[in-house]
Amino acid sequence: MQDGSLILVVALPFVGAIIAGLLPTYARDAAAWLAGAVTLISLAVLWTAYPTVSAGGVLRHEMEWMPALGLNFVLRMDGFAWLFAELVMGIGVLIVLYARYYMSPEDPVPRFFAFLLAFMGSMIGIVLSGNLVQLAFFWELTSLFSFLLIGYWYHTAAARDGARMALTITAAGGLSLFAGVLVLGHIVGSYDLDAVLAAGDRIRTHSLYLPALILILLGALTKSAQFPFHFWLPHAMAAPTPVSAYLHSATLVKAGVFLLARLWPVLAETDVWFWIVGTAGVATLLLGAYIAIFQHDLKGLLAYSTISHLGLTTLLLGLNSKLALVAAVFHIINHATFKASLFMAAGIIDHEAGTRDIRRLSGLYRFMPFTAVLATVAAAAMAGVPLLNGFLSKEMFFAETLWAPTPHPLIYDLMPIAAVIASAFSVTYALRFIHGVFFGPVLDLPRTPHEPAVWMRFPVVILVVTCIVVGVLPAATVGPFLDTAVRSILGATTPEYSLTVWHGFNKPLLMSVIALTGGIALYLALQRYLRKGIEGAPLIRSLEGRRIFERTMVFLSWRLARFLERLLGTRRLQPQLRLVLCMAALAAACTLYLRGLGPGNLAPAAVDPVLALVWTVGAACALGAAWQAKFHRLAALILLGGAGLVACVTFVWFSAPDLALTQLLVEIVTTVLLLLGLRWLPKRFVVSGAPGPEAITMTRRLIDLSIAVIGGVGMAGLAFAVMTRTPPDLLGQQFLERAYTEGGGTNVVNVILVDFRGFDTLGEITVLGVVALTVYALLRRFRPAQDSIDIPEQQREQEAYDVAHPDRQEGDTVADWLLVPSLIARLLLPVIGLVALFLLLRGHDLPGGGFAAGLTIAIALLLQYMIGGTRWIEGRLQVQPLRWIGLGLLIATTTGLGAWLFSYPFLTSYFAYAELPVVGQVPTASALLFDIGVFALVVGATALILIALAHQSVRGHRAVPTTADAVTRPKSEAEP
Amino acid sequence: MISWMDHLTIAPIVIPLLAGTLMILIGERRRGLNAALGLTSAIALLILAAMLLWMADSADNTAVRTYRLGNWPSLFAIVLVLDRLSALMLLLTSVLGVAALVFSLARWHRVGAHFHPLFQFQLMGLNGAFLTGDLFNLFVFFEVMLAASYGLALHGSGALRVRAGLHYIIINLTASLLFLIGVSVIYGIAGTLNMADLAERIPALAAEDRALVETGAAILGVALLIKTAMWPLGFWLPTTYAAASAPAAAILSILSKVGIYAVLRLWLLLFGDAAGASAGVGGFWLLIGGLLTIAFGSVALLATQNTARLAGATVLVSSGTLLAAIGAGQVAVTGGALFYLVSSVLAIASFFLLIELIERGRDLGADVLAVTREAFGEGDDEDLDEGEEVGVAIPATTAILGMSFMGCALVLSGLPPLSGFLAKFAILAPLFGQSVSSLSATTWALLAALVVSGMATIIAMTRAGIDAFWVSSDGTVPRVRLTEIGPVVGLLALGVALAVKPAPVLQYMQATAQSLHAPQDYVRGVLPGRELPPPTAGGAR
Amino acid sequence: MEAIVALAIGVLTGSGIWLLLRPRTFQVIMGLSLLSYAVNLFIFSTGGLRTGAAPIIERGAAGSLAQYADPTPQALVLTAIVISFATTALFLVVLLAARGLTGTDHVDGRERDR
Repeated sequence: MQDGSLILVVALPFVGAIIAGLLPTYARDAAAWLAGAVTLISLAVLWTAYPTVSAGGVLRHEMEWMPALGLNFVLRMDGFAWLFAELVMGIGVLIVLYARYYMSPEDPVPRFFAFLLAFMGSMIGIVLSGNLVQLAFFWELTSLFSFLLIGYWYHTAAARDGARMALTITAAGGLSLFAGVLVLGHIVGSYDLDAVLAAGDRIRTHSLYLPALILILLGALTKSAQFPFHFWLPHAMAAPTPVSAYLHSATLVKAGVFLLARLWPVLAETDVWFWIVGTAGVATLLLGAYIAIFQHDLKGLLAYSTISHLGLTTLLLGLNSKLALVAAVFHIINHATFKASLFMAAGIIDHEAGTRDIRRLSGLYRFMPFTAVLATVAAAAMAGVPLLNGFLSKEMFFAETLWAPTPHPLIYDLMPIAAVIASAFSVTYALRFIHGVFFGPVLDLPRTPHEPAVWMRFPVVILVVTCIVVGVLPAATVGPFLDTAVRSILGATTPEYSLTVWHGFNKPLLMSVIALTGGIALYLALQRYLRKGIEGAPLIRSLEGRRIFERTMVFLSWRLARFLERLLGTRRLQPQLRLVLCMAALAAACTLYLRGLGPGNLAPAAVDPVLALVWTVGAACALGAAWQAKFHRLAALILLGGAGLVACVTFVWFSAPDLALTQLLVEIVTTVLLLLGLRWLPKRFVVSGAPGPEAITMTRRLIDLSIAVIGGVGMAGLAFAVMTRTPPDLLGQQFLERAYTEGGGTNVVNVILVDFRGFDTLGEITVLGVVALTVYALLRRFRPAQDSIDIPEQQREQEAYDVAHPDRQEGDTVADWLLVPSLIARLLLPVIGLVALFLLLRGHDLPGGGFAAGLTIAIALLLQYMIGGTRWIEGRLQVQPLRWIGLGLLIATTTGLGAWLFSYPFLTSYFAYAELPVVGQVPTASALLFDIGVFALVVGATALILIALAHQSVRGHRAVPTTADAVTRPKSEAEP
Repeated sequence: MISWMDHLTIAPIVIPLLAGTLMILIGERRRGLNAALGLTSAIALLILAAMLLWMADSADNTAVRTYRLGNWPSLFAIVLVLDRLSALMLLLTSVLGVAALVFSLARWHRVGAHFHPLFQFQLMGLNGAFLTGDLFNLFVFFEVMLAASYGLALHGSGALRVRAGLHYIIINLTASLLFLIGVSVIYGIAGTLNMADLAERIPALAAEDRALVETGAAILGVALLIKTAMWPLGFWLPTTYAAASAPAAAILSILSKVGIYAVLRLWLLLFGDAAGASAGVGGFWLLIGGLLTIAFGSVALLATQNTARLAGATVLVSSGTLLAAIGAGQVAVTGGALFYLVSSVLAIASFFLLIELIERGRDLGADVLAVTREAFGEGDDEDLDEGEEVGVAIPATTAILGMSFMGCALVLSGLPPLSGFLAKFAILAPLFGQSVSSLSATTWALLAALVVSGMATIIAMTRAGIDAFWVSSDGTVPRVRLTEIGPVVGLLALGVALAVKPAPVLQYMQATAQSLHAPQDYVRGVLPGRELPPPTAGGAR
Repeated sequence: MEAIVALAIGVLTGSGIWLLLRPRTFQVIMGLSLLSYAVNLFIFSTGGLRTGAAPIIERGAAGSLAQYADPTPQALVLTAIVISFATTALFLVVLLAARGLTGTDHVDGRERDR
């Protein structure tokens, strides 16, 4: 066999799965044939490898995956892997055949087979992994697909819960295995299996051996359902029987023991290994067997017996004896054969009789004698009756319990006793299975049972025959394979062992006899109790694994989580803001504290009393605004404006006219915006004599106050510290030097804005445009709150007055009222326009520029709206803000792009190419163009926002249902 | 004089800008035209980004492509810098862009006004933020990005969105103010805004000045960490993302990573190993903050019954993972983190898109029952004969949705076979790779965090998935268009591709991490020679 | 001189923060406006304060920091002003929309249940 064809073995099932998944739901036979073909081919391919592996050879195929991190896709097959792969595939074939007849015709089986094949592939992946990370990879895949298989009948709660439980536990185990593999890889310096297997001593002596071991064992023990993680397995019985037969005989649960055996040479033969693995094994062995006796569901009985037999295998692996390892591997094979056949038998019974409840089943022997015989033989093998394969491995097990080296004498005495008790139990439940189902009186059943279809029974026959043949002639049949497997694990140190039925009269035989007789006796003794048909095993009925698991899960993953989220998080805004501010302050403070702050390199200039005075006013305004903002919004707004003005003054003071100008204009627009907004806010009055805020509120305010104070002081300090020092060379120097000579403007700030850092400005106007769009979108859906719909009182009175007097029509009063101002405003319109133009053009050399100009125009428009009212003004002039925005952006962008024609970077100004014929002798042509773009956009955006807001008052009325003309919307409504 | 090829560097900003502008001029009415234009631009960006990535990678390590705006000397001009990291982020953005846009064409772009221009400006803001090499310009593009994201987050209006949007806006405005403070302090002390120049100036600073620069950086850092939603600064994120419309949320899922990008860029550039006395300032806090974020994210994952909030929580987890990994401060780990970034962003985006499709087919508040049902031990006494033991045929649509959901769950929880597993491995492997006998506390902490968060994700996702596909499977198949499921599957397919051929990607990431941790090339690339041409009297530059 | 400006920034910041932490949206928008004043002043001040320096350089000459104030912070402030203006406007509209849709002007969209 070529090494490359290993890929085939792994890939084929997945390919098959995909194809099966694509088949139509009714394509029952096609899916079955597909699955069968896939498994048979893989089986055949594996066979061709036997010569190599039996000769001690190792097939290995490596592909690059994440070579940088030492993770390659390595397929590696030695004797042990080969044996396991054969087991997986061999049982797989039988399962497919069985499932074809088990699953109901209406069942959409292609999905079932798809999952089954995918699971098979992942299992093979584990077995053939030559890299531990890759092994963990496939490990999790098996968890995933077993989840899907167990949950196949997801419409039943049992399937859902069983699936979820299996996934939760095995996936958690997988994660811990992943972690363990990483640690192991760290110890060895490679994840490659060969490297790891070669580094046994290094691993066992390493300081990280224990953590690695524990993590890996968590993975293995959860997977093979060892105590205390055993409880997921019985609930996985909600799966269709073929699945149970597969998962719990040859595959899923065996992955755990496979891993233990695989890493046995490097991890085992230490005391801690013995204690952990051995204890888990023996506990599981006894517990499983004990509970199995009292199960009434056939599959439940088999499930617990599986747990117990896995415990047996684990115990063998934990015994730190090479012979025990041999026994373990042998028992893995045997258990797979008889357990698979038993599950199938149980399935047949269920299928034919319509129930799996032992209490309702009885005397089936009359209806299905052939099946009964098969089941009996298999059960006998499970019970360890001589001349069957189960007997052999059990003998070896007894021998090991007697003679294996143990770290403590007490163990030495207890071990055999435990072993005998456990196998006595197994005899009991085997008896119960057979006697309870096939013998005794005939009861009435959901269906009248009869022998199943031959092909449904065929797999069972095969398996049972295997049990017998192996049981009679072990050395001739299973001998060589077992030997190949064991040698590939232990290599040269493989001990001598003999596979014969008869070892003469010795202790193990005696133990078997005791176990058999004891088991039978126990069964007879328990007859009466079992007939009562009480659920669950006595003594430990209360601690049901599932219940505990569910409760813990609900607590951890729900109650606790909820609590923690409420504790550690919040959905309210104020706490979040507090946190943000505190974090910022903290970060700054810590850094300063750690580094320490020296004095600056600039001496602070003398204090000018005038500015001081100005700022006392400013401060008063700011504080006043803070004080009044809750109850007296208008006052607060005015005070805010005051603070803004003082800021303007400061800018002028420190020779920054551009800032002052812009600040002033923005100030005006913002104030108007807020004023327009005020109308929609709820009324709030100081209720005189109302009880003051409670203590909690007061403390909250106190905290906020202190945060505010700290923040203020901090900023002041920071500002002072930064102001009193200046770096050796500032960027500004460059700008000053080049503003005129290369930027062609004397107003450096403007040159920076439109040229040096024109890109910022482009972004900035984009922001403005985007905001305008958002505002538009939002306000189109604007619905005022119920209590702010009706018209303000003043308007109502005015209109009432108009209505009262027949000689006037509605709105006259307002018009008269504003007659003079409106006249002035209209006269002013062109003047303001001129001013704006002036600001725009001179921008490059003197304070001004596109932005200032734009705002000015916007304000002019605004004035018209305020004076003339929305209707009047829009009756006369239609502004199309979106056009302006679009054009503005377009102009600015294309100006920038223009430079490309001269193959210069974006936004290169043409100023320096005065000699170019295209452009001509206009200085700073492009910069001006850019500024015009800015201008247009600012006009558009500001107008849009203001008008959109202004319109709401018009719409507000319409929101009142009583008005008849609600439907007829004037043109002005097209724009919100 | 520069060649046309050089203009490609700025094209990712100009294309969406122009597209958006034209859309405004075309007007809201002609939506078909808008959609066509938007799609064209998005696809163009995708191709462009791929080209840029190829250029950035093929160019030998020392070369970063720079673009000096206005043709001014790069010392004081605004410079765009294209290196591996920015190219990577550009590509990721454009992929999400195409996916989200295609998805939105099914119905979302009709729900509110101006979806298309907003979307374009969103892309422009993101690309600009990834490209710029100037600190203040970074702020400007952050604002473009945020302004657009406000628009998109509020797209479709409604009480829920507006309420969430209000928080989102207030917090981000505060963050922006902090950003400004930080930047201006840095300028006031170091005297420049050019990142590369800063990287050169900071080591030379006097001790008492350095204190201030670091303070500025700290404040700036807080602003950025707010955007990455680090605990305790990120409570706004799940609410906002859950409230946003599906395509908006998909794009938002990379917004939280812009903060990560900025942290990577600035922290490693300004306070990398070359920063003298300031080297590695705050790395420890990144690590701690990251771990805390992972913890809180996991808690949030488990504590929600709402699938959209669940997705929001996964964003927290991924942000936390990235922060922690970056905070570990090792080249290889950073490389792994980048791999994780790509993988998780793709998955989260497709998850956000998917959720809407799933919810579509379900009765309202079905998921609210999920956990409570479990709390009272659903089906405590298993009845053997319960339910017909015959499988239920699954309609194709539901099957695809279910598989996509599983795909997202796998990537996000880091289970095989998708890229999530390899991503986690890529972060952890280097930490375990060192040839020291004992493992550092950092390693254990990260390992624990990733394992626990993975487990939490599995539990939460299983709960949500079982509830969405198994419990409430009343046969009602949601009506899903191909243009809606297509993007979801496409994004996941990329996850599969990452899992199948991770080697080249990881190699790229490692190269990126290398150049990030050794930014000399970046600096040299941006500032070839410090001395400037003398100011000329109006002559040609 | 620096001291005054520093104090001014401090007071603006303080009152801004106080308002930012209030429960009413109008208070918050006020707070943000105050904060943006503070930040603008702060940015401006980082360039160092110059009284009586000509803002406009003479034609044809190459200015220098010796006789002129540092223009860069001013440019930055201008950009910042515009952006904060835009965002304030947006915020105003959003808070109005929220007020309309939720019926309250509380930042959480619902009155705190006591």
